[in-house]
Amino acid sequence: MSILGTRVLRTEDPRFLTTGGVYTEDVVDERLAGACHVTFVRSPVAHAKISEIDVSAALAAPGVVAVITGADLADLPTIEPAMAGLINGKMRQRLLATDTVRHVGEAVAAVVTESAYQGEDAIELVQVDYDLLPAVVDMTAAAADEVVLHADAGTNTAADFGSPDSLKADLFDGCEVVVSQTIVNQRVAPAPMETRAAAAVWGDDGRLTAWVPNQGAQGTRGSLAKLLALEEAQIRVITPDVGGAFGAKFGADPEHAVVAWIARYLGRPARWTETRYENLISMTHGRAQRQQVTIGGSKDGTVQAYRLEVLQDAGAYPRIGAILPFLTILMTPGPYAFPRAEAIAKTVVTNTTPVGAYRGAGRPEATAAVERAIDLFAAAAGVDPAQVRRKNLLPTFTEPHQTAFGALYDSGDYVAALDKALAAAGYDELRTEQQRRRASGDVRQIGIGLASYVEITGAGDEAGAPNENASVEVHPDGTATILTGTSPHGQGHATAWAMIASDELGIPVEKITLKWGDTDLIPEGGGTGGSRSLQLGGAAVQQASKELLDVARQRAADQLEANPADLVFDVGRSAFAVAGDPDASVPLAALAEGERLLVRTVFAAAGATFPFGTHVAVAEVDTETGKVVLRRMVTVDDAGVVLNPLLAEGQRHGGIAQGAAQAFLEEVLYDADGNPLTTSFADYPILSATEMPSFELADMATPTSYNPLGAKGIGEAGTIGSTPAVQNAVIDAVAYLGVRHIDMPTTPRRVWQAIRDAAHDGSEHG
Amino acid sequence: MEFLQPTSWTDALAAKAASPEAVPICGGTDLMVELNFDARRPAALLDLTKVADLAQWDIDDGSVRLGAGVSYARIITELSARLPGLAMAARTVGSPQIRNRGTVGGNLGTASPAGDAHPPLLAAAATVEAASVRGTRLIGIDEFFTGVKRNALAADELIAAVRIPLPVGPEQFSKIGTRNAMVIAVAAFAVALQPARKLVRTGIGSAAPTPRRAPAAEQFLAGALAEHDLWESRAELPGPLLDRFGDLVTAAAAPIDDVRGTAAYRLHALGVMARRTLAWAWRQYQSASPEGS
Ligand SMILES: Cc1cc2nc3c(=O)[nH]c(=O)nc-3n(C[C@H](O)[C@H](O)[C@H](O)COP(=O)(O)OP(=O)(O)OC[C@H]3O[C@@H](n4cnc5c(N)ncnc54)[C@H](O)[C@@H]3O)c2cc1C
Repeated sequence: MSILGTRVLRTEDPRFLTTGGVYTEDVVDERLAGACHVTFVRSPVAHAKISEIDVSAALAAPGVVAVITGADLADLPTIEPAMAGLINGKMRQRLLATDTVRHVGEAVAAVVTESAYQGEDAIELVQVDYDLLPAVVDMTAAAADEVVLHADAGTNTAADFGSPDSLKADLFDGCEVVVSQTIVNQRVAPAPMETRAAAAVWGDDGRLTAWVPNQGAQGTRGSLAKLLALEEAQIRVITPDVGGAFGAKFGADPEHAVVAWIARYLGRPARWTETRYENLISMTHGRAQRQQVTIGGSKDGTVQAYRLEVLQDAGAYPRIGAILPFLTILMTPGPYAFPRAEAIAKTVVTNTTPVGAYRGAGRPEATAAVERAIDLFAAAAGVDPAQVRRKNLLPTFTEPHQTAFGALYDSGDYVAALDKALAAAGYDELRTEQQRRRASGDVRQIGIGLASYVEITGAGDEAGAPNENASVEVHPDGTATILTGTSPHGQGHATAWAMIASDELGIPVEKITLKWGDTDLIPEGGGTGGSRSLQLGGAAVQQASKELLDVARQRAADQLEANPADLVFDVGRSAFAVAGDPDASVPLAALAEGERLLVRTVFAAAGATFPFGTHVAVAEVDTETGKVVLRRMVTVDDAGVVLNPLLAEGQRHGGIAQGAAQAFLEEVLYDADGNPLTTSFADYPILSATEMPSFELADMATPTSYNPLGAKGIGEAGTIGSTPAVQNAVIDAVAYLGVRHIDMPTTPRRVWQAIRDAAHDGSEHG
Repeated sequence: MEFLQPTSWTDALAAKAASPEAVPICGGTDLMVELNFDARRPAALLDLTKVADLAQWDIDDGSVRLGAGVSYARIITELSARLPGLAMAARTVGSPQIRNRGTVGGNLGTASPAGDAHPPLLAAAATVEAASVRGTRLIGIDEFFTGVKRNALAADELIAAVRIPLPVGPEQFSKIGTRNAMVIAVAAFAVALQPARKLVRTGIGSAAPTPRRAPAAEQFLAGALAEHDLWESRAELPGPLLDRFGDLVTAAAAPIDDVRGTAAYRLHALGVMARRTLAWAWRQYQSASPEGS
């Protein structure tokens, strides 16, 4: 029986649960002996000219080795925006701000000390004179260009995706019901448990070795090379254990490059670990869109037209976040068969922390918009939201479906996912319970929120079609080693990749070791992001294993003096045998005794895959205090064939929780001057276990033909479905009071305010 | 930084008298945050965790004498029957780790308007036992909070204990925050009914510069209960009475807007909590046998 599809326990966990992980800060390595420590001086103001930096007092402080400012780095190139072609290339950043700071938390200087604590003291002695400039914090205000962040660019607009002129004036003609709503998809913090860090040392060979928590060592190497104007071959990136990333640890940040630069400048290894405060103000944030949705259709609940207009806040410097509207637009219609739909977007810079990728990166924003729009339309048409979804979802398809926005959905059965989720939740009974509570005037009302989604995983990049490499080697002692270009940081690749190889090679999972995240060992790889790992990296492991068996078959044929075609591979015994003569056999491991039995391969997929599902959230809302309690989360997340249900459920759990947290808890806040207000976990209400019910996961697996595993991505799906489901549930709970919409997070105050405003409007209009 | 670690109460008081600038540390769950954020750099720390007496409680003359160093976790496990209001508040503090270390003495020392022990202590008419080499002084809880994060202690004084009269009627507590655990109150409220004395006491948290009572609400309620013989009849409380009580509690507050909530929301939430906690307390009173209360 195949091991695939079974609940194999994570082979990673015994170490994590006993001795613990080795994160970048924990790395003990003789190359790092005597390392100095880097502490960053960060801007306390959102927008200012730097008139002077006086480091003399800091230099005199105990343990201070050096103080580095932007002037020292003048030879390094300025940082280009991500995807320079799409983004205004004049919006550039320096590794350390030289003449202008553009957000609170921007690094201005780096103090190098013998020990970490000396750095904390010494940064206070660096005197920076700031000539304050007006700050622009709100993205709509930024679009007006009254305060411009990057004078060279002459505008705050970093990119336009389509033009307002292209919007059709007659899009909603003939619609009986048309609803419009501004929706805030608020800024959130990735807040990984492990903050950012780096350790760097230069060898006598002139090469840099950098330990960085990341999502793909090869990408981090590429970013460092760009930031430091080096050849990639000059850099070796090593990935220690990574304590969460959520999209924000792709590539390298300016701080990583500064640490590496300092190590070379001083001829001495250098280390850096940021505090939680620094992490909340200077690691990239996520989401940060303001959306305008308009939806129209007939009174029976059929949607005829949908329009999405997106304003994306990129923060002070255009990073990945600046191009995310591209993905939002790609996924505009979600799983629906809207006859007419259009979308445009604009990205602006503001005096806030730069925005990057955050679990789902661009797609959750599309889903949140369309799922809110569907509910608004359902409410206006007076049709049950489940009914509206069923009416408008694309029918089942097995041949790829091309959308008007350029996406090619590989396979999908959206109505089945909806029905399955509704049945698992007991939708009709929930509606009955809701009616009962409304009738009895209960203070605690329940709301039922739905979200049907389709998302894109394992897409290619500028370089071409999606692909990933893997190497598999069988050793003479019967063990095997896999090298992967993906980069686990909690997902369980060591278990999953071993299962795939084991299934082919007959080597037990516990005898298979996975290696990743060392660019000298694995020079190429796409890392882990966009939920790509299993469908590309896992498929590569399977392909490498099969190719290894081909090599081994030839060797076995030589040894057994048989025709390769006459050999059968007995997975149970991990041995080749002559067909019809099981005694004439040779173990796979024995075939590695002479020459190494090693195969490296690249798996290339036909395209991205499109996982889908439906989430049902049940929220209880205290109509007097506005407090939301999430009672149930019932989800169908169809990610194709499931390799290990335990791992897939783990990804769903984490995703659902993180997505729900955006709906009713988390938000990064700034005051009007650009001062961050959520700079610790006391003020940034990161989710805790006490906020979550036990999740009810229903299974559904529609295979994809784009990889031999039949698998699609599952890493982000939970986040994509749960955010709108929970938001819709909260609004549904108080809809009978006249509430149409509540922006996220649906805090007690917001919910109360919405109820109050609705009552006020109601009484005013009679 | 100097680190003083007395092992007896006498030594602790002597140390505080000799170095009034020394900052006491008990659970450290407030102080260590301040030190870590560099909000404060005291010249000396006075560690009180080695003073065994501080971690004791006993019953003395109808009151629980709660040593300043008794943790929230112990209040929950050892005192929830005797001090239900305080125990309810203790259950909402932080997380298990914080409840294991944090103390009521520390909560009073910080004297934050958001300290969760304060509303039930106000409602219970507690007394703070302040001690110095000069002697012991009893400070009524109503006089203890003097400003935002300021209290009535003199520079050489330490909190020895809090004396909390054993309740003679139902106590209730309610807190609203942005999440369920690890949360600083957006607003909190405590109420205590004293049927034998026909008195009512209250405590408001997170909705004024200091924790405070709502005296007008207390007087109104005590008067109304007496007027309608409700103490005796234990009849349902009329809706308008609950509403008026809520309104008067709201009127006693003076909240601000901050990242956790607006003043308007705090006032509203306080009114809701006042009505609710009173209704809960009254239900308890109704279901308790007349002899037992
Ligand atoms: C994560 C987290 C969550 C929290 N959640 C809550 C919460 O939900 N509700 C809440 O109310 N608080 C909360 N707090 C704050 C804190 O836990 C409480 O205020 C606690 O009661 C402090 O007690 P402590 O013994 O730790 O005080 P310490 O930090 O030791 O001291 C606090 C202050 O009191 C002074 N002090 C201590 N003992 C004495 C004494 N005997 N005499 C005179 N002065 C003294 C100290 O000098 C200091 O100024 C939280 C803190 C953290 C870190």
